[in-house]
Amino acid sequence: MSRYLAKRLLQMIPLVVGLSVIIFLLLAAAPGDPVDLLVFGNPNVKAEDVARLKHYYGLDQPLHIRYFKWLWAALHGDLGYSRTYKQPVLSLMWWRIGNSLWLQIPAFVLALAVAVPVGIYSALRQYSKMDYAATFFTFFGVSIPAFWFGIMMIYAFSVWHPWTAIPFLEGLKLPAGGFNSPGIPTGLPRYLDRVQYMALPTIVLSLLFMASYTRYTRSSMLEVVRQDYVRTARSKGLSESKVVNKHALRNAVIPLVTIIALSIPALSSGAPLTETVFGWPGVGRLLVDAVLAGDFAVAQGIIIFLAALVIVFNLLADISYALLDPRIRYD
Amino acid sequence: MAVLAERIAARAEVAGQGYWEIAWRRFKKHRTAMFGGLIIFLFIATAVFASVLTPYTFDQIDLYKRKAAPSWQHPMGTDELGHDVLTRLLYAGRISLAVGFIAAFTAAVLGTLVGATAGYFGGWPDNLLMRFTDIMFSIPDLPVLIVLARYMGGSVPGIIFVISVFAWMGPARLVRGELLRLRTMDFTDAARALGASDSRILFRHMIPNALAPVIVAATLTVGGAILSEAALSFLGIGIQPPTPSWGNMLQNAQDFIWNTPWLAVWPGAMIFLTVLCFNFLGDGLRDALDPRLKL
Repeated sequence: MSRYLAKRLLQMIPLVVGLSVIIFLLLAAAPGDPVDLLVFGNPNVKAEDVARLKHYYGLDQPLHIRYFKWLWAALHGDLGYSRTYKQPVLSLMWWRIGNSLWLQIPAFVLALAVAVPVGIYSALRQYSKMDYAATFFTFFGVSIPAFWFGIMMIYAFSVWHPWTAIPFLEGLKLPAGGFNSPGIPTGLPRYLDRVQYMALPTIVLSLLFMASYTRYTRSSMLEVVRQDYVRTARSKGLSESKVVNKHALRNAVIPLVTIIALSIPALSSGAPLTETVFGWPGVGRLLVDAVLAGDFAVAQGIIIFLAALVIVFNLLADISYALLDPRIRYD
Repeated sequence: MAVLAERIAARAEVAGQGYWEIAWRRFKKHRTAMFGGLIIFLFIATAVFASVLTPYTFDQIDLYKRKAAPSWQHPMGTDELGHDVLTRLLYAGRISLAVGFIAAFTAAVLGTLVGATAGYFGGWPDNLLMRFTDIMFSIPDLPVLIVLARYMGGSVPGIIFVISVFAWMGPARLVRGELLRLRTMDFTDAARALGASDSRILFRHMIPNALAPVIVAATLTVGGAILSEAALSFLGIGIQPPTPSWGNMLQNAQDFIWNTPWLAVWPGAMIFLTVLCFNFLGDGLRDALDPRLKL
């Protein structure tokens, strides 16, 4: 196992190097370097001061040397300084990431809780009405623009809510956006209050993943159900629940776990839209605000974080695959 | 016996037809794909003939009729500046559909070139190109698109460029896989034995044979590209007003949702329906062109 892991880690090196080079070039390609932006519109700064500052910060050095210096700093947790928020990028990101998790973890759980049973059911009853409904739902989920779905949900639950006329449902209105009601102290009441703000963005964020997980579960299950050993299990008289749970599902889960592990970073990458629509103070909205303000250091810090997630989950997917599938040999 | 005779007749009928005819027969049976194709055709037509279909222009402002409810003069109402929403929707279709088609086509061509080079030559070019493809695949695309689109400053070719830069990897992998398979086929050896050059084998014999999955992937990419453009324009870093796109029409709609919800409904419904139809179309094309294909 440790040799397998070591080999996987070695194979990951090109990915890490490639990603870091691309992300570095992304900021290096920004219109105007940090010093240009700093002195922009300030008539008192002379040209020799600009040159001195650029030399001081090493911006006059060739690109490859700047890359290594940047990489060295990033590896030590220095992701740069935000011009608009006047603080280090890392400390700015930190609590925003925490806020984002308030949406991403429930969204992920919700997506799995719906997708796995629906996917299994529609694979076991292929071409049934339920299966067609599930297939149509997956098309719906991958085709709908998340931000528009969010706006429509806000309209339904915060503006229109016709069902509040029905007794027992009069309380079913939800806030159009935000993170907490004003004036609620910290602790449990604050978290309970937050649930109503989380409901809509969680559903919106999870829809795309619900749809694609349903599709994966269905196709992975379909592949297994056709195998000979499932027919053998049936023909030797095992109950349907045993065939499904013990023989089919266990093998269908192996590719599923890998695909899901690889998709988790995308949950964070897709969040900017949902967080912007609902005014959620997460890391995705920070990215959008920073880019609109031209603060590319923040954007780069967030992209580094997301790329690190990609690398970590790539590795986790490999490990889970090796742990779950005994056919994988470690050497 | 009757069944058998029918089957033989059916096979004879099929045998007399070319690949594309068989594909078309299969495609016609795919109801959602036919529906998708029809709607897309309709949307393209209304976008092309937008200037004939509506008496207004897309930047015509009527400040006396701002945020007007749907009526006979303005079937979809007017927006906060008094633009006719239906007119802008038709003109926005030009931009959104053009961005989708051009970005998907560029991505398909790029992907085919990369995949063909990797699959045909194998060895270190294959290794290098496929590692690069993997890296591009693992980039968190929406955040990077947001940054790059901002650099482009809202120019339409710029937006098309950044979207296609993050869409060529799927076709590249498909073409590479197909070429690895085709490389071992007898007709390739035959062509080489007859003295055909590398480029002739590639462009005459192999790429045409690898085209079916690329067409399917490109169709699905059109939908994805339209979604990306809409997302960027919604955030205010894509296509800039007064040029209308379905995404930037939604940019302010959220603020007016309390009084004029229809402003938010139409553009989003157009994006949703168009992307849904491209996904249906791609699904049908996959079944028709290459039923073995998994995408």
